[in-house]
Amino acid sequence: MSLLTRTDVTAVRFFSNYILAGIGSSLEVYHRDNGKFIRKINVLKGQKIYGIKSTNSGSKFIIFGGKQFSIVELNFNYGEETVLERQVLCPVVCDDWLHSGIFISENKVALLTAHNVVQIWNTENETLNEKYISKDNSILYSGMLLPLKDDLLVFSGTVFSEVIIHRCGDDLPLHHLKGHKGVIFSINYNSEKKIIVTTSDDRSVRIWKVDNIENFDVDSKDYWINAKITCVNNLYGHMARVMRSHITNDLIISIGEDSGICFWNHQGKLLRKVMSHQNACIWSLDADDRYLVTGGGDCGVILHPLSLVSEYGHKEIVPIEIVTPKKVKFTARRNILIMNESNQLIYYDLISKTSHINDLNHTSTYKLLSLSSCKQIIAVADMNGKLDIFIENCKGDAGIIKIIDTKLNLGKILSLQWAGNRHLVVCSENGQITVLASKEMGIEVIDKFSLPPCKEMWLTASALSLDGKILVVGDRVGHIHIYFHGIKNPVRTFSKVYDRYGATSIIIKRNEFITTGRDGKIKYFSLSNDVHSIKYMSCKDLEFQWLEKFLDKQEHYICGFHERVFVVYDVKNNLKVLDVACGGGHRSWDAVRYIEKVDDNFDEFIEVLYLKNYTLYAEKFQLSKIMSKNVINGIHSKEINCLKTYKYDENNASTYFLSGGEDTTLRIASSNLTSQIKDHVVFKQLSSIRTVKIQPVDKNKILLLSAGGRAQICAKIITFNQDNNEIHPEELIDYLIKGRDKERKGDKNWRDCSIDFDPETRIMDLEILKENNIFTIITACSDATLRIFNLDIDNKKLNPIKEIRYHKTCILKTHIFEFAKNTLLVTCTTRGDVAFWDVGKPEKNLSEPIFSTHTNKSGINSIDVSIIDNTRFLLATAGDDNTIHLNLIQIQKDINSMRVTKSWSSDKYHCSQITGLKLIGDLMVSTGIDQRVTVFTLSVKNEVKCNFFSQHYSDVSDIHGLDVIDISDESVTITVFGKGIEVIRIPKPIK
Amino acid sequence: MGKTSKDKRDIYYRLAKEEGWRARSAFKLLQINEEYNIFDGVLRAVDLCAAPGSWSQVLTKKLRKNTDNADEVKIVAVDLQAMASLPGVKQIQGDITKVSTANEIIKEFEGLKADLVVCDGAPDVTGLHDIDEYIQSQLLLAALNITTHVLKTGGVFVAKIFRGKDVTLLYSQLKLFFEFVTVSKPRSSRNSSIEAFVICQNYNPPPDYVPTMVNPLLDHKYCDFNQFTGTNRFIVPFNACGDLSAYDSDTSYPLLLEGQDSYEYKEPVQGPIDPPYKEILDKTKAIQINKV
Repeated sequence: MSLLTRTDVTAVRFFSNYILAGIGSSLEVYHRDNGKFIRKINVLKGQKIYGIKSTNSGSKFIIFGGKQFSIVELNFNYGEETVLERQVLCPVVCDDWLHSGIFISENKVALLTAHNVVQIWNTENETLNEKYISKDNSILYSGMLLPLKDDLLVFSGTVFSEVIIHRCGDDLPLHHLKGHKGVIFSINYNSEKKIIVTTSDDRSVRIWKVDNIENFDVDSKDYWINAKITCVNNLYGHMARVMRSHITNDLIISIGEDSGICFWNHQGKLLRKVMSHQNACIWSLDADDRYLVTGGGDCGVILHPLSLVSEYGHKEIVPIEIVTPKKVKFTARRNILIMNESNQLIYYDLISKTSHINDLNHTSTYKLLSLSSCKQIIAVADMNGKLDIFIENCKGDAGIIKIIDTKLNLGKILSLQWAGNRHLVVCSENGQITVLASKEMGIEVIDKFSLPPCKEMWLTASALSLDGKILVVGDRVGHIHIYFHGIKNPVRTFSKVYDRYGATSIIIKRNEFITTGRDGKIKYFSLSNDVHSIKYMSCKDLEFQWLEKFLDKQEHYICGFHERVFVVYDVKNNLKVLDVACGGGHRSWDAVRYIEKVDDNFDEFIEVLYLKNYTLYAEKFQLSKIMSKNVINGIHSKEINCLKTYKYDENNASTYFLSGGEDTTLRIASSNLTSQIKDHVVFKQLSSIRTVKIQPVDKNKILLLSAGGRAQICAKIITFNQDNNEIHPEELIDYLIKGRDKERKGDKNWRDCSIDFDPETRIMDLEILKENNIFTIITACSDATLRIFNLDIDNKKLNPIKEIRYHKTCILKTHIFEFAKNTLLVTCTTRGDVAFWDVGKPEKNLSEPIFSTHTNKSGINSIDVSIIDNTRFLLATAGDDNTIHLNLIQIQKDINSMRVTKSWSSDKYHCSQITGLKLIGDLMVSTGIDQRVTVFTLSVKNEVKCNFFSQHYSDVSDIHGLDVIDISDESVTITVFGKGIEVIRIPKPIK
Repeated sequence: MGKTSKDKRDIYYRLAKEEGWRARSAFKLLQINEEYNIFDGVLRAVDLCAAPGSWSQVLTKKLRKNTDNADEVKIVAVDLQAMASLPGVKQIQGDITKVSTANEIIKEFEGLKADLVVCDGAPDVTGLHDIDEYIQSQLLLAALNITTHVLKTGGVFVAKIFRGKDVTLLYSQLKLFFEFVTVSKPRSSRNSSIEAFVICQNYNPPPDYVPTMVNPLLDHKYCDFNQFTGTNRFIVPFNACGDLSAYDSDTSYPLLLEGQDSYEYKEPVQGPIDPPYKEILDKTKAIQINKV
């Protein structure tokens, strides 16, 4: 029984307040407004759902995909938010792939197959009534049926890049729409707008206008017979294939392989392009006049409000004549502060539209402006040390008054930042850092620190802990320094946390501090009064490079720049919130997030202020009107290559999934195993991740290793917090066997580098060996080499110890197990060779395996071992030859004298590569690319007996393996992973 | 990424360039032959979905060894797309689902039928496995259909197959027409790849079978002897092919291979002609459409 499925979302549809999503062979129902999961209905058998169409009256749906269709009646109880289904017609298997299915009456459906055949089925008695075969019968990539009042019109998207329109049953086509340069992926028609929209492999969207001089009804055959169809627009907005489109009253929306959603108007103007679904292909969409829903290759479903900039946002030009404005800022009352080059600080009241000018009597043109975190206190300093502090009044007429006017004797002032609301951090010449606080009408020096020498010695960001005892600063070369109260020099320095320009912001939370920079990375550090506990923990990669700061106290929204666009990004849900084409980050700008009451409801707003072409713009966005929401959280955007499940406590309701994939991400997600799975943390590696392994180090602490392409090995300590279900990762190692590009090439550019003759190695699999707190990591590589490392957790070092070249070809899988008081490693290759290594003994003696054998005809993609007794174990291997081999291996005298005593094998249970194999007591479970999960009963006495018990189908394609989640007396719960994840509960044989 | 990195990543890509093959797939056909001797005595061969032409290259090289008179060797390459010409190969730019194409092949063989039909065609994959598998199966069935028009009884058919979730339906279909059906994966095909090749030997259609192009061949449905899930699934024997000492396509090799003392980068033998994305490439050269 399938408990939870996440895979490509190939169909989505709105139905009143609900979203129907086709996920594999099941239909999942979600509430549109609150995103609540309502129900999962298994509709098809062994086929993905590609289309959902309802009758005109509504409640009956034809659901089709692959070669099947089914009719389901859904009855929604709106009050209780439940839905009851009745399967009117169990899946009917047609003899060909279906591209379109529609109701032509209450109990008749028409279907279009991939060979351009229209089938008319009676759903009452489940019979095929009529069949119309078109002469143009080479394969279709898409098709659409359009019922007319007196006919049925067929639109066929052929592999020859044209759309053929014909009347069902008619030999001669009415129209050929030619122009695309690749196969047609989708066809849509809107009878009110009289347009056809096609999308294609050639990256284009075409709009075809249907004209008719005479006055026929649009839904009559005469209209189409006499129609003139011309391509009015050939639109390029996608960078890759365009999968589907949808026509609404105002828009044409197209989705593509480039993860982009393009919004076009009916005249073909690209109004907006949004990137969504984590760079995965977007497969499906539906829209009405208010919402758009998309389903993607990241297994997610996202709801987008359908409002364009003009509606959702309010953009205004601030009508203020300022000569040479230099800096602009929002104040606490969301009025505007402008510092200009004429030595003035101007306060502009956005409501009364009046401005007040405060003359600054500064002597230097190098002036610094900083606002406290509450934005109420304003500090202006010039290079010569003149410091003015203003405060914005919180009641009455808006305005600012100067409260402090003083001169600092600190030499040339180079940087100035508020640390919270009470302290100013000033950096002056020679790296002198001074922390100031106000005292009556003046200021006092709280602390003085010294910045280690570097180029451009000043600060880019700083933060002070709440008790004022710890100061964290970032300098211009990207170092982060930590100072303790009273100690002049940094107690701790993290070198080169960011490259050029340094950190853009630093915030201190209770036990941690968080930094942002211009390389797209948010970095997390632990913070403590104990220097030794201050550690770099982890980092989060965002989709855009230039990160500036968080806009809220919960670190939910981060803002920055993506090329010439200002971006606000929701870090918790991995969604872009908004973008503003402001022209880029090299300008004065500010942004605030706040909550305001709109018609009795509180809503979140973001307001952005920026200077562009000497004009000051203020743009305001109401988030609920513009923000996309996850209905189903996305997971990996490409195949999952490796996955381990973990539960730190049997009583905990959550199961953790630690997975790595082709999308180069390593993710830790938690799941309740029924309706949800959600990523907690996502790490990026340089290339695809092929293996993850875990080793418990404490009760709720694990060592996590991941490795893969570019011969990269990463190690982390993951702590699971039982109280709040949070996950605290600490990155230990990020190691490249061949060294970083910089280490390899030095300062030479690529032209000057000689060719590197060594192979590009991928790490295919690895094992962790733990002995008395010493961790040994054994990696199996694609250059047929085993590499052994020592992992020093305390010093965060991975030290290579030994390389063993024994195998002749790529090693695919490894497995480690304890047997007869020995620790044995098994390695398997692309040639079906298996070797056993005694890894318990010192590595230096390790050069040859203690035993080797040949099992499979081709590559071994899955392996497991089960210990039978003190002298025997069972080796199970399976792979590309779709054969499972069981070999009973016995030791004679000692571990060095192994031999195979009994064998069993079969190629009858999978028809393609077997990628998952587990021995679970007296059961064996196997799975593979053929999407079948096979269960066998196993007995090993004098013979190896293995009998088929059951087989189950999984909706996940490209299965790369399986892991066991739970074993009970009655059942085994497993997960298979590949292009998605499925959790399956399999009943055990009854004893 | 340097230009040598592709050479490093894929040994057969590199060898293909060094040995003058238009694509690395040439090695797949060579390795299939090592195991099954499919070229034995073959004089007339058809290469379906031939572009870019590496299999035709292999055919010309191998079939000429079967006779002293090179004129006896007839190779017909069929593809929808244009393909750069190859000496000794008759090209037909046509649709394999059309009778006219079958007739053209027979005409080229002067009324005789082919000894061998090969098909290495594959669609541009969409990323959805089931669609890709379906399209590939239709391509294979179209190839099989035209093969039934042009192949002599006892002849051999070799085609690319995707071993996906419904491949057993194709196996049972092929078994109707051929006495021996095996599936094989050449060592030059990657372990991670879903592709394999069916080697169908001894063409022997059902007695009442009449080749027709009017209806496309459709694949089978699941039934009692070929269940959707269970013990009765129609699975054909698997063989790995290619010499054990052959290079392994998953293994990373150094640029200096064993026994070599120098390495020289070589350009690909034949680049793509007229891909569907050509127009947008031309357009994006002029304007940057990602800047919207």
